[in-house]
Amino acid sequence: MIDPLQSAGRIAATGLQAQSTRLRVVSENLANAQSTGATPGADPYQRKTITFQGEFDRLMGTTGVSVGEIGRDPTPFEVRHDPGNPAADADGFVKVPNVNMMIEMADMREATRSYEANLQMVKQVRSMTNMMIDLLRTRG
Amino acid sequence: MEPVHLFSLASQHAHWASVRQSVITGNIANANTPGYVAREVTPFSAVMSDTALTMASTAPGHMQPSGSAAGAQSWDVQSTGAAVALDQELVKAGEVNRAYSLDTSIMRSFHRMLMASVRSA
Repeated sequence: MIDPLQSAGRIAATGLQAQSTRLRVVSENLANAQSTGATPGADPYQRKTITFQGEFDRLMGTTGVSVGEIGRDPTPFEVRHDPGNPAADADGFVKVPNVNMMIEMADMREATRSYEANLQMVKQVRSMTNMMIDLLRTRG
Repeated sequence: MEPVHLFSLASQHAHWASVRQSVITGNIANANTPGYVAREVTPFSAVMSDTALTMASTAPGHMQPSGSAAGAQSWDVQSTGAAVALDQELVKAGEVNRAYSLDTSIMRSFHRMLMASVRSA
């Protein structure tokens, strides 16, 4: 039977991985918030979305987390008037990415907070394991 | 109460605390998973009074999201019915840390007492 502390360490690791992937997706969205298309009338950068799913490990009997899928946000693009832009259509309108800065920043903060919570669990598991191993040390 | 019985109590509590730790870690990791319901282990006091506890029934792999009355003598994992509250989980983790620290300290001091009595004999 798998030691519960060891399995806790592995679960926390899956949490760290999932949250850092989420942060990566947020960074991509933020970096491409202004990326328009290259040819006239072309679609700009489409916002990426990420979903998580529980991952039940039958061997350990625990549920870690994994990235479900990285999809695209189907929200329609807004347009702005910019005739000089390479992506401007016949009327001079350019489609802009459907990235909302406020939402991405809030998502970033939540991802960081979750990441820190998972990291706290890693530290705690490590310290608990050390407490148990310390019992073996004879100090007179 | 004999010292040996207290020693096994502390080690059982430490095992229970480590199972609780793995459940809390699972909750925190799945805090953003849609549809995930927070889990919790049965309180130690409910398990303590059961003297027929065997090692097989206390296996940490014994996880049933619905929780069963038949398996209530082990520290079964049950659903709380609510989504994960990150702050609450971290507070629980703090409790687990203190409990585990207390248990290992008790185990160490009893071991020391036993060794002292053996040496002085």
